[in-house]
Amino acid sequence: MGMGVGYAGRRLLGAVFVLWLSATLAFFALKLTPGDPAQALLAASGATAEEVAERRAQLGLDDPLLLQYIRYILAIGQGDLGRSWLHGRPVGRMILEQLGPTAELAAAAMVVGVVLGTALGVLAAVRRRTWVDTLATALAVVGLSTPTYWSGLLAILLFSLRLRWLPATGEGGARHLVLPALVLGFSLSGSIARMVRAQVAEVLGSAFVLAARARGLPNRRVLFVHVLRAAAGPALAVTALQFGFLLGGAVVTESVFARRGLGKLAVEAILWRDLPVVRGVVVVGALAYVLVNLMADLLHAWLDPRLREETG
Amino acid sequence: MRRCLFLLLVSAIVLLVSCAPKPEGRIVYGLTLAPSGIDPHVNASSELGIPLTSVYDTLVYQDPATGEFVPGLAERWEVSEDGLIYTFYLKKGVKFHDGTPFNAEAVRFNLDRITSPDLASQKARFMLGPYERTEVVDKYTVRIVLSEPFAPLLGSLSQVYLGMASPTAVEEWGGDYQLHQVGTGPFSFVEYIPGDHLLLRYNPDYAWGPPVYQHRTAQLAEVEFRFFTDPATRSPALETGEADVMGEIPPQDAVRLTESADFRIEAVALPGASLMMFMNTTRPPLDDIRVRQALLYATDRQTIVSTIFRDTSPAAYGPLTAVTFGYDPAVQRYYPYDPEKAAALLAEAGWADSDGDGVLDRDGEPLVLDMVLMGWGYMPEIGQLLAAQWAGLGVAVESRVVSYPEALEIGGSGSHHLLPFTLSDSDPDILRKFFHSQALFNWSLVEDAELDGWLEEAARTSDPARRLALYSQVQQRVMDQALVIPIRDYVNLNGINNRVQGLRFDARGWFPWLIDVTVGGQ
Repeated sequence: MGMGVGYAGRRLLGAVFVLWLSATLAFFALKLTPGDPAQALLAASGATAEEVAERRAQLGLDDPLLLQYIRYILAIGQGDLGRSWLHGRPVGRMILEQLGPTAELAAAAMVVGVVLGTALGVLAAVRRRTWVDTLATALAVVGLSTPTYWSGLLAILLFSLRLRWLPATGEGGARHLVLPALVLGFSLSGSIARMVRAQVAEVLGSAFVLAARARGLPNRRVLFVHVLRAAAGPALAVTALQFGFLLGGAVVTESVFARRGLGKLAVEAILWRDLPVVRGVVVVGALAYVLVNLMADLLHAWLDPRLREETG
Repeated sequence: MRRCLFLLLVSAIVLLVSCAPKPEGRIVYGLTLAPSGIDPHVNASSELGIPLTSVYDTLVYQDPATGEFVPGLAERWEVSEDGLIYTFYLKKGVKFHDGTPFNAEAVRFNLDRITSPDLASQKARFMLGPYERTEVVDKYTVRIVLSEPFAPLLGSLSQVYLGMASPTAVEEWGGDYQLHQVGTGPFSFVEYIPGDHLLLRYNPDYAWGPPVYQHRTAQLAEVEFRFFTDPATRSPALETGEADVMGEIPPQDAVRLTESADFRIEAVALPGASLMMFMNTTRPPLDDIRVRQALLYATDRQTIVSTIFRDTSPAAYGPLTAVTFGYDPAVQRYYPYDPEKAAALLAEAGWADSDGDGVLDRDGEPLVLDMVLMGWGYMPEIGQLLAAQWAGLGVAVESRVVSYPEALEIGGSGSHHLLPFTLSDSDPDILRKFFHSQALFNWSLVEDAELDGWLEEAARTSDPARRLALYSQVQQRVMDQALVIPIRDYVNLNGINNRVQGLRFDARGWFPWLIDVTVGGQ
């Protein structure tokens, strides 16, 4: 495992860079959005313009931008995400409270998406240019293009209101997770299916599969041992890249199914210009994204020995 | 001796149990706004008061039927001649849920907390107006001292934002107090999982409720609050039984629920400012009063109300909703729907369609108005209908949807033509937030010294008749000057499962009195 340290070290350095970059982008992008946070907090309560100005100074918003940035980056470096202006509570703790339900939803949706997407993709590739391919591809397109707020409502109307199989909203065990995970997973499965279909089709036509077939290996064995293993890598990479999409989709899904989660926290914070919370969610989201992709890369390297040689 | 004590204890328990049977009912109450911070002294959201009005008691209460203030934690009070000193005589024997006794020190502790700059209060502090300090006279007498008279004070003190919190709990939990709130109310705060649920349990010791409560203790064992931010899911949650009460049901769902045997809609009209479109009086062409009046005559409110709100809320004709104290019905005489009059006014102001493109123009400039909308409160839908109604007259509208902080910035700088807003409150002093020249919501950018004077005097005057007269003048001036296009009065459509009975709301129409709620069999 001599290659391990160098590879992991470089990847770690890259991860820190990505984190710094997203924290910095979050800071300056939010500074560009119009609207004064102090005014948003106090206007409806009948505060005077002077009182709003006092609050702005209290929040440090009158300090030079560079000073605000340095203070913020240094704090993040120490793991301190600051305090919410709206709630007055530590951002880190607020995010931790919401992280669990979002992770649960994202993981369940990921499983649904991968299983469904892979199945559709493989079916379509193996039965290329038949009605199975058309149907599977059509399903993938539907999944890809149906917004979750719509499919979510349809699912609630059908499974909760009409059939009464599953609860429509809230949390509390696996039953509550089924509908939101299916809805979000279905929309994820579209892009995975397309990727898997292309990969499997390519591998099916490649020399080593022809060779394997020529050696007389049964079709099923060729498919499951050789084709899938070779196709898994790129599919895995797409899935990891889709993690960002998943976090974004979770925002809407959480809202439709009245679940708590990071998404709702972020939306509320954006609406109120609660900048510490928005930045905190961005940084934590970037961290999760980096970790998931790191894991996917390591898994990919393990699955596909060619990669280890290249990177080692 | 020990035996004696034991017998005493047993008989006490038997007595207690027979006097106050433990309630068993439980309901799930759906909240609608994005859950923000919920410490009423700190936070400003209106949904926090829905659960917490039952956790905290206030010094006084306002009777929604009469508008009169009645005793709460204060059994009586006096206001000094000059309106600067309010003396409250407190009830004795009141205890917080954690056992801490309630007294004058506790009142001072609460008001000191609210006004402390460190707390960074977003609402409660400003509701106290020209507050100066609180003095403890004796154990059960407390004085609030103002620097100038402030008529809305009792109204403020009757709201949960100025509810009395246990000093012990506040000191113990510090920055995390909002997750561990302790009051003296009919329900105690059990837990709050942000974004998921908030749980209240009945307070068996409650015996000091205001006369507006019908029961001595709560009739439900527990009330669970859950959050339904997506309007489309509210009615399904009610129909699947996942919630028993749900506020802000969308109008089309409300119409459907009314026809169901299992649910009912209780529509509560809220006092405060109506939903109105502010017209920027400083930006041409709206600096011309004839153009502003033309837009008012060209607006068919009845169609808007029936199309978007399915006739569930009344059309508005002035800046206050019809159920607000001080509402002047005279505003209904202004600006009936009259497209011909609108066209005549525009022509008189020099606007004509000289190039035949369907849009009026003057000196080569087309009549295009910049309408800024926010994504909530059906503002985009209203904007769309207004644009369609005005298009017939040759008035073009370019609209954009922005966030609330951005709208505040736009409204303050006056870079809009039209910008709608609505806000609820029980006191007509709310007009000062919109039409005083220094107000943050002065989105009409009006500068009228007389209007400023009336609004300031009305805030200081405690004589109700004088206040009424002043607010009447204000409302008529606002409409005379065509500062706003009132659209509709805010009506909260509460969807309720028929097993739930006895739900009533406070004078603000927004905060439920859960103590009297009962549940029957399914």
